[in-house]
Amino acid sequence: MPKFDHYIIIGNGPAGNSAAEVLRMHDDQARVSIISDEGFPYYYRHMLCEFISGKKKEDALKVKPASDYKEKNIRMRLGQRVERIEPETKTLYLKHMEKVKFTRLILATGASPHVVPSLSRFEKHFSFMSKYSDALKVKPLLSPARKVAILGGDLVSLKFAKMLSAMKKEVTFFLYKDCFYPFELTADMASAIEKHFSGKKIKTFADIFPSRIESKGKAFEIETENGENLTVDIIFCFMGMRPNINFIQGSGIDTERGVLVDEHLKTNVSDIYACGDCAQIYNPELKNYWISVGWENAGIQGETAALNLLGESKVIKPSQKKILDVEGLKVNTSWWKEL
Amino acid sequence: MKEKKMTVSKGGKLSAGKKREGNVFFSEDPRDFGYAKENIPCQDACPAHTNIPGYIRSIYEKHYGRAYEMNRMVNILPGVLGRICSRPCELSCRHGESDLGTSVNICHLKRSCADLKPSWHMIKEEFYAPSGKTVGIIGAGPAGLAAAHELAILGHNVTLYEAMDKPGGMLMYGIPAFRLPRDILNLEINNILRMGIDLKTGVNVGRDITLTELIDVHDAVLSTVGCQEPFNLDLPGEDLDGVYSGLDFVIRVNQGERIPVGKKVAVIGGGYTAIDCARLAIRLGAEEVSVNLRKTETFMRIDEHEKHEAKTEKIKINGLVAPFQINGTDGKVTSITFERTRLEFTKDGKGRNAVSIPDSAFAAPVDTVILAVGQTPDTGFTGGKIELNGKRIKTKAGSYETGIKRFYAAGDCVTGATNVITAIAEGRHAAHEIDAVFVGKKRITETIRTETASQTDRSRNDDFIKASVMPTLEVTKRLYALTGEVEQGYDDKIAGEESKRCYLCNLRYFIDTSQCIYCSACIDVAPRDCIKITRAVEIKKDGAYGELLSATDWSEGLAIVIDNKRCIRCGKCYEVCPMHCIHIEKVELIEQKLEA
Amino acid sequence: MADIDIVIEICGSAGEGTISAGEILSRHMSSLGFEIMSFDSYPSEIRGFGKCVAHSRISNQQILSPGKYTDILVVLNDSHSIPQLHAVRENGVVIYDSQPPAYHEEDKSIAGWMAPGMIAYGIPLHSLANKAAGSARGRNMVALGAMAALFGIDEEGFKTSIMKRYATKKQVVIDSNVNSFEEGYVWAKKNVQKLDHLTFSKVKLRKVTQNRIIINGNQAVAQAALDSGIKLFAGYPITPATKIMEIMGKELPKRGGIMLQTEDELSAIGNVIGAGFAGKRAMTATSGPGFTLMTEMTGLAVMAEVPAVVVNSQRGGPSTGLPTKTEQSDLSLVLAGGSGDSPRIVLAPSTVEECYESTCLAFYLAEKYQTLAVLLLDFFLSNSIRNIDEPSLPDKKMLSANISPSKTDLKDYRRFQLTESGISPRALPGTPLGMFVATGLEHNERGKPAYDSKTHLEMTEKRYRKLDGILKEVSPPTWDGPKANVDIGVISWGSTAASAHEAVLKARKVGVNAAFMSSMLLVPLNVDHFVKFSAACKTILVPELNYSGQFAAHLAQYLNRPIEKLNRITGLPMPSEDIFEKIMEIADTQKR
Repeated sequence: MPKFDHYIIIGNGPAGNSAAEVLRMHDDQARVSIISDEGFPYYYRHMLCEFISGKKKEDALKVKPASDYKEKNIRMRLGQRVERIEPETKTLYLKHMEKVKFTRLILATGASPHVVPSLSRFEKHFSFMSKYSDALKVKPLLSPARKVAILGGDLVSLKFAKMLSAMKKEVTFFLYKDCFYPFELTADMASAIEKHFSGKKIKTFADIFPSRIESKGKAFEIETENGENLTVDIIFCFMGMRPNINFIQGSGIDTERGVLVDEHLKTNVSDIYACGDCAQIYNPELKNYWISVGWENAGIQGETAALNLLGESKVIKPSQKKILDVEGLKVNTSWWKEL
Repeated sequence: MKEKKMTVSKGGKLSAGKKREGNVFFSEDPRDFGYAKENIPCQDACPAHTNIPGYIRSIYEKHYGRAYEMNRMVNILPGVLGRICSRPCELSCRHGESDLGTSVNICHLKRSCADLKPSWHMIKEEFYAPSGKTVGIIGAGPAGLAAAHELAILGHNVTLYEAMDKPGGMLMYGIPAFRLPRDILNLEINNILRMGIDLKTGVNVGRDITLTELIDVHDAVLSTVGCQEPFNLDLPGEDLDGVYSGLDFVIRVNQGERIPVGKKVAVIGGGYTAIDCARLAIRLGAEEVSVNLRKTETFMRIDEHEKHEAKTEKIKINGLVAPFQINGTDGKVTSITFERTRLEFTKDGKGRNAVSIPDSAFAAPVDTVILAVGQTPDTGFTGGKIELNGKRIKTKAGSYETGIKRFYAAGDCVTGATNVITAIAEGRHAAHEIDAVFVGKKRITETIRTETASQTDRSRNDDFIKASVMPTLEVTKRLYALTGEVEQGYDDKIAGEESKRCYLCNLRYFIDTSQCIYCSACIDVAPRDCIKITRAVEIKKDGAYGELLSATDWSEGLAIVIDNKRCIRCGKCYEVCPMHCIHIEKVELIEQKLEA
Repeated sequence: MADIDIVIEICGSAGEGTISAGEILSRHMSSLGFEIMSFDSYPSEIRGFGKCVAHSRISNQQILSPGKYTDILVVLNDSHSIPQLHAVRENGVVIYDSQPPAYHEEDKSIAGWMAPGMIAYGIPLHSLANKAAGSARGRNMVALGAMAALFGIDEEGFKTSIMKRYATKKQVVIDSNVNSFEEGYVWAKKNVQKLDHLTFSKVKLRKVTQNRIIINGNQAVAQAALDSGIKLFAGYPITPATKIMEIMGKELPKRGGIMLQTEDELSAIGNVIGAGFAGKRAMTATSGPGFTLMTEMTGLAVMAEVPAVVVNSQRGGPSTGLPTKTEQSDLSLVLAGGSGDSPRIVLAPSTVEECYESTCLAFYLAEKYQTLAVLLLDFFLSNSIRNIDEPSLPDKKMLSANISPSKTDLKDYRRFQLTESGISPRALPGTPLGMFVATGLEHNERGKPAYDSKTHLEMTEKRYRKLDGILKEVSPPTWDGPKANVDIGVISWGSTAASAHEAVLKARKVGVNAAFMSSMLLVPLNVDHFVKFSAACKTILVPELNYSGQFAAHLAQYLNRPIEKLNRITGLPMPSEDIFEKIMEIADTQKR
């Protein structure tokens, strides 16, 4: 038996960080570690757009300084990927070939961009905007780019398209109502967006997929299903997010879209919890499973998971259906479904 | 733990009692079987024990015919299995270990040897003299065909009784042609039948002829009837128009019927049949097809390729839903009500049960519901005289014989629905048992064949070749026809590249400790921790050698040993050894035919 | 254009190419025009799996110390590198192997030990090396390649430097090293996203001059000895002085000289004195334990007035001590070792340049003043690699310094004639009429043993008088800083002096009124200067690498005042950062 407990949190976003703080607050003896495959410390994701447009500098993105973790004695394992969980031995296998033992584990791995299978063969041509590393990659590409295509569509993509057109880029938008995240677009929502875009001189293809994408030098040629051809400098893909649960599969922890947890954020395996954008919970109000989205929800879930890990039994309440005003459209953003 | 001190002996290898024939050894020692089991993981994972590294090597050498025949030794339908096998081998392929990339596309390669072999390749089949015994086999599915072929080789007269009008069973009727073209299936079935097997189609045992009659006519009767009876969910509304049973749906479409499915189709179930139904529905013009699972995708018993193709065809897979009732108006389906489920551990703590969540019902509008939740054996033909195990036929422990003398059973009707390769293996094994009864001894046995090799057969660069993707028909083209085969097969170039990826785990590398000078040059070039300074070796309960116990310090190390379980046969150590004391043997699990 | 001053450490196991990677890096950066100071530490065991660290400080400005804090740690061996992490800066960069052949047990991988704020780049060193050259041996080159890609070092030039390093090896060796480098470079360029801001690509550099050479202290000593016309080197191998012997073994025979490996140190010094007696320049090199043995014989050089040059490169002691760790704890031994009142010359260079200079000086002074000259180096100085301007060769005066007897002297030759300077004209064996007796016994002017009190006093005084002349020949101690009203005066010696100098310069930059003094010549000591310096300073600080403060104690007898000491025996060179901290601490107390 280890001398002290080792609480490990996989994921360095709002859920992971709030969990780590709560754990340390209530247990000053245990080892607390955060493992994240991102090399950059905890940052404000919503500022990435400002970061790539140059409005915000790198340091402004950081939520807290490194000294904060030092003071709280929280070990940071950044740029490290967990490849496998072995719940029987309570061991994590990391990609860089290290085994790490935990006594209790919180999965807060968040979500990453999804590419629909029918377009996955073009994935290598796509740019994403969901992580700091994406932004770092995109930043030098974006300033010389003149023509930009956006595939899919979610809240960020709408904001992003707006930003691009303000940057005087020629934007083409492929809008798919069924990969709109975190909800499905109704036909009138889609047409409202289309109308809105045409006012901004953003060309929109509604539910028309590219049938061929090829790189030509630094640019890309897109042929659409309805036979149109266009050339763009950069293609962004926003087809919704998928919980990062690949590495959990086969471990015995049950997953579906996300990690299945009960209302205490417990997984089916004892001593393992999940919270934030990777956790899937049954919501009796919706009569459906849902995955929470949003910074605030993640923070609350992180706290709840941490408290339950420490022995409490707090129940996560389905958060209020928040109505957000996006592009003049009222949309519901706090639930998630696909059926 | 028991352990054995490393000793330095001439030859110095950890290997057991062998009979020598030239530079070929044969052994039935449990330690050698243990070695093969752990070190050639693909062959061990294959229910039929196909010599996978062997045939992949032949593909590399462009001896496609030989590769095909190597398959056919244990699996009489290589071209078929190369398309629809559930490929347990690929799950255990060493190349798929987490630090080594992805598994070799073994199944695609199997298909390529069938595709690429010249039509006139030579078959070397060793026959036994006629025995005068006759065997009747009920059901010409994969298990029945395999058993028939094996019994024919062994010199017995075989009659196959098939209820449908074509042989092949599930292969012919249960699998859509876009996954398994019928010309290939027919060709391979004919190859079996031409051994002098008497095929009687359209004979329904139990109706046209009774089991007792059959047992009277034949020296032995084998049932390989498989699973034909759909599971019954007893859902309210099952009798509505637009509700089909999965197998029935596939059979009807395979027989050429264009069933109208409407726009929205919900398939219930998560096996191959369910996915086949969904993919057929899309081809029949459905716009939204969903596959609905009580549990989750993780628990689906199909391989990733199939899942990926289905998703590419825009089929949705919904987990954690249980059908509750089917609703309709005017006798026609309009919607299906599901309940959400939640997973619970089964009693043994290993599996999961799906439990409905109270008050979670919701309805989804549909035009067609296909219930493909699996099948059970239909044992009606026995006239109820047989002892059952649930709905399956019960056989004696460790045997294929049933409660009725001279009546045997094998395949899915005994095991429940499994997969084709298991059925083939079971059919063969049953044939061997029947033969042993006839002859009084086992004439076909497994043995370990070891042959000294003088080269590694590989280049280290081969380890970095990426898995070759199976070329597929574009989605838009697929959906026009019901039968257009989706997977296009490897050409010889792709097959050649993919074949290089195989580590050839049938090669065993070992260091002759009597010559080793402990320079550790081999350890320096080792691609992973496959060569170890070892202090002892674990001995397992069955006498097989287990893990190598590494020394933490030079002073306690007794030998430098190659751990063949970690070895990827890159050949680097063999190349650099200044003493040439690394030797290679080809170790194969093969079947031996007893000679009179 | 930015300035850069960073420390790169490569840490691995012996045999993993840690040291050669460091060497290639230093040489390449020097060829680009950077100032470099490198220092390798390696295990004491002759064979085995010990820890090696190649430490390089690289800057476009002057460097005087190796640098305490690491900016970039390159990990070739995890377990050895974990202790090195404490020296990595808060926002430092760690490059580690992300694909070792087997799983590390918990906490055996460096990745788990990174402090928050540090940036880690995992590079699959093992598998890339394997891929590039079929062997994991090229891990060091993969790491260099990755480093070059990450920190903006030109790829092609670096490859040329690698080829140069292995130029004498077989083509396969060159190819596998270059290919491994390339593999690392390409992989890092493609796969690593740079999160730090260190780069060499935007640094303003001085023009590269042709004559810049890269040498370490030992090489500088050996080169200076060769340039000074050494004819015999006798020695017995001992870390850290062995390298000098190795060079002599290679170079001396080419120049008509002899390198003699003797059975022990006693014999070595005996051979040196013998050659000196015969009029040939000779030297031996050893470390503390060897010098202890030699003290049996060093007195003979003093008594018989024979020139002898002895190098003592200090290591951790006492006894066999810490063979591969640096220390300055032989000072007392060298100042006072041996029997009787035996005046000798002690020179302690503080930089690689001074190693050359002081060796030339040692040969000159020993020959002219017919006595023992000891060069006091230490492990760090012996092994610290610098790129320096090519030193100027010793001039004619330096090369032939023997004061020969005149014809008049030879008429009635007195080998140990009492003179004002203490130098008696020395006839070499074979000089007509120049016969004499040389002995370790006290003797009269003709060399005949004489034990009367008058002779002993006169002869002792004569031998001590030589020191006055020596003092005048050597330039006075360095005094950097104000000449009066100094708050803190820092006095140091040997390699620590360079660090101390850097610390004082840094302290002055932040407004501390500090001054620095050091002397290459420790015996005879220019006491006047030290007394003046002491008088000008409120506080005197003496940092040195020994436990008891040997130099501070030595100075105390002249300065007659309290002295602040800073002693380190970590086995590592004195960090200028520590001295700086101490200065700031003293400055603080003074304010209060």
